[in-house]
Amino acid sequence: MKSKLGLIFFPAFDWMISPTHPERQERLLYTRDQLLEEGLFDLPQIREYRPRLAEINDLQRAHIGVPSIARLITPAHLTSAGGCLAAADAVMSGEVKRAFALVRPPGHHAMRVVHGIRGFCTVNIEAVMVEYLRSVYGIKKIAVVDTDVHHGDGSQDIFYHDPDTLYISFHQDGRTLYPGTGFPDEAGSPAAWGTNINLPLLPGTGDEGLHRLYDGLIQHILDDFEPELIINSAGQDNHFSDPLASMAVTAQGYAKLADKLQADIAVLEGGYSVEAALPYVNTGIILAMADMDYSKVVEPDQSDLRQQDERCNKRVDQLIAETGELWRSRFSTRKELLAKCGNSWSRKKSIYYDEEGIREEQIETAHYCRQCSGYLTIRTAAAGTRFGDQSAFIISLKRDTCSECRQTAYDEAQLEKRNGKWQYVLVQHIADGEIESL
Amino acid sequence: MLLGIDVGGTFTDAVLIGRGTIIAQAKRRTTHEAVLQGILEALDEVLQEQEVYNIERVVISSTIVTNALTEGRTDPVFLAVMTGPGMNVSKSFPVEPYYVSGYVDHRGKITARIDWQKHQGLLSKAKNKMAAVSGKFSVRNPENEYALAGELKDCGYEKIFLGSELSGELNFVRRTNSAYFAAAVYKTFKNFCRQVQDSLKERNITAPVHVLKADGGTLPLDIALKQPVETIFTGPAASVLGIEALGAPQVKSISLDVGGTTTDIAFWENGLPLLARHGVKVAGYPTAVRSFHMRSVGIGGDSRIRRTETGFEVGPERIGPAMAVGGCEPTLSDALIVAGRVGFGDKAAAHKGMQQLCLMGETAAEVAMQVVEAAVSVIEATINEMLHEWSIQPVYTVNDVIKGTEFEPELLVGVGGGAAGLIMALGERMGLPVEIPAGATVANAVGAALARPTLAASLRADTTEGYYLIPESGQRERLPSGFSMKMAEELLAAWLHEQAKAWQLPGQEAEVISKEFFRTIHGYYDSGEIISLRMQLKPGILQTVIGREVAF
Repeated sequence: MKSKLGLIFFPAFDWMISPTHPERQERLLYTRDQLLEEGLFDLPQIREYRPRLAEINDLQRAHIGVPSIARLITPAHLTSAGGCLAAADAVMSGEVKRAFALVRPPGHHAMRVVHGIRGFCTVNIEAVMVEYLRSVYGIKKIAVVDTDVHHGDGSQDIFYHDPDTLYISFHQDGRTLYPGTGFPDEAGSPAAWGTNINLPLLPGTGDEGLHRLYDGLIQHILDDFEPELIINSAGQDNHFSDPLASMAVTAQGYAKLADKLQADIAVLEGGYSVEAALPYVNTGIILAMADMDYSKVVEPDQSDLRQQDERCNKRVDQLIAETGELWRSRFSTRKELLAKCGNSWSRKKSIYYDEEGIREEQIETAHYCRQCSGYLTIRTAAAGTRFGDQSAFIISLKRDTCSECRQTAYDEAQLEKRNGKWQYVLVQHIADGEIESL
Repeated sequence: MLLGIDVGGTFTDAVLIGRGTIIAQAKRRTTHEAVLQGILEALDEVLQEQEVYNIERVVISSTIVTNALTEGRTDPVFLAVMTGPGMNVSKSFPVEPYYVSGYVDHRGKITARIDWQKHQGLLSKAKNKMAAVSGKFSVRNPENEYALAGELKDCGYEKIFLGSELSGELNFVRRTNSAYFAAAVYKTFKNFCRQVQDSLKERNITAPVHVLKADGGTLPLDIALKQPVETIFTGPAASVLGIEALGAPQVKSISLDVGGTTTDIAFWENGLPLLARHGVKVAGYPTAVRSFHMRSVGIGGDSRIRRTETGFEVGPERIGPAMAVGGCEPTLSDALIVAGRVGFGDKAAAHKGMQQLCLMGETAAEVAMQVVEAAVSVIEATINEMLHEWSIQPVYTVNDVIKGTEFEPELLVGVGGGAAGLIMALGERMGLPVEIPAGATVANAVGAALARPTLAASLRADTTEGYYLIPESGQRERLPSGFSMKMAEELLAAWLHEQAKAWQLPGQEAEVISKEFFRTIHGYYDSGEIISLRMQLKPGILQTVIGREVAF
């Protein structure tokens, strides 16, 4: 019998950010105990895989580290990224129908340019996997559904210009929670308008509101987009017991969502109620992804679970209406926006790295071309990194960037190099993950 | 003198070992209807010229439990489970369980006690004599299991097996199945033990009597009664112990015991056979019964050879004996002889056998080589599966990932009748050196005779909760102040030694199998520590024997 679900379980019992940090050794201990006690690893429906160590070039298809990604990470990051690559291989080889990389450290706050750790993340493991699926398996259209309570600002940053990656994130409203972003009008750069869907929910939203949103909007958008693969950034901190957020979703809510979503690959993100939520939410997601009965997965203690406020559903209905309209009109909006901006489009970003107190100022420019998908230029300056203050001028070349664009990009980089303003001048080759230093 | 008896599928063997050599041996046909009869016949022959008072210990490796299960000679069992929330387990056990309310969470906290009102009518009268009780996370807190077992006892059940007493490790489904099968075979096993004891008494044998377990350890009969299902599948375990008795390989090795019908494959490290990561499956259900990391593949000296469209297929059917020793159909042994891999029997007859398989234009030697290659590739494929199985064991730390947990064999060790030729060919194919220990034809009975008692136990301490628990004993005590891993090891070693003494086992050194230490945090502050520890009395064999051809 072909197994339904490939499971990569890597709790990183020897990795932490600091001893009392939410990202500490203990995080998946109780989940490990629950999965072992349930006997899930013995099921014929589930096949276990080991993570492998990702290579630096795997990371560099998604990231440009300053001074380099190799100097910013630990072997734990290579392992959690490698866990995602193992999940991708398991599904793409046809050995299993779906896969779940239950790994840490997490990644969805890590952006394209990396100066340090932000939001517990250094390497965006989903983005690394998406680029791997493209380079190794030639997959084009991918949907990433982020079910973490925090806005996945790193994933948004990396996928923002890519019309072939649909990024959908529902999360607790950024006015009430880290990282403070993730509003509906952040819908993608002009060429990719509408493929970045942000759905900020009111604190206190529970299973009811979540599934109202899924059934009323997310499912329709996914059906329309017709992705070749669906990836779930399976954060679990919408749970009613999470200490860092204020939502009211249960293990049943999460398991039902996994069942409806039918993601090809799920990747663990946040979730810090390590005793009261993670053991049950993960059991529920695993059973749902393995096409098994999850109806009996209920937290033994639901005394902290509150009924959701009626305003929560109102917000959900508003999102369904407004974002539905944004989605339906995406092609015409793209045309208008592109006509307005001409050959290039820029955005200015102020990025704060909460773990290390780094402040980064960044200007990112998407250059458009009629023959190819163009390229990006990034000007970044960061204060307070572990390497001191640092700056870089970066060009990011896509897989299909044409030779003309390449020449223009290199000319600009050489010019920036000559004016001597930047510590580093770097060229990212997304196709093979090479970073060239000029 | 140590007496070992192995009941196999065809033969029942007995050996008597003293001062590192085999003093006497006997072989009788296994009497399937009455296993004991064959045992006693072999026993009487081996003791013919011996003084019984010199016998220090008797070990029996029998098929009694295996047969009871495969032939369905088991008792009906009332299975009561406390699953709480989680996976739907309705198809996980051999019988539909009776669900009892009550739950313990992963920290060992009782989140629901048993609601007796709810179960009053159903529990009030015993439906049969045997019962098994199992609760999720009962190894973290067995209170609910104890309460339920007490209630069942009052209802009139004769014997009740508890999941937490059969295994101290996490895996509710496996513990439950272990408890169920223990209850199902208890009476058969108890009956057998009584007969053995009576028969030995008649022969004035007063030495302690042990039975072999699937993990290669022994237990005194009366203790084995507490976990009868552990005595399943002891034949392969005895064969591995037999290899150990000849002087176990010290480097990472793979042993291949080539018999007439099958080849038993086991992995070795640091002079010890590796234990399987999971318990064995009984009647298709996973249990907590530990065994060696072993596989039996249907390739042996008497394996039938068949021509297929693409080449040859060897085994798993046995037809033997080989034509070289008077059989009428060619077997793998004949191929090995013609290929020049072994040199016994009538070469001309073997040659004739190979010729029967030749197509036009083929020589007997060519065909023999192809047959050997076909046999070797089946064994190699099984080894590769075992290597894969071993390599996907869980990795919990970055260090594990970097270090790797692959098993990289450096040596093949071949034992058994046809071993030399076949394993040499396998070694060439896998690029590994081959060792054939002197006197490689050692019977399983030797392994049984020399096996050490095994005893393993777990300890879990949670300083936030303020207690420690040894689930195998149910011992749950308050933690002394300043509790540490070192104290945990001392406590558990002390318990193991105490238990060994109570069971009259030799005082072996206790060793750590695994340990984990976690700091627990509550609201950004240290709230305590979790210490998990598993230890065992050092397993293995009592002594090695000098290799000698044992022609049974």
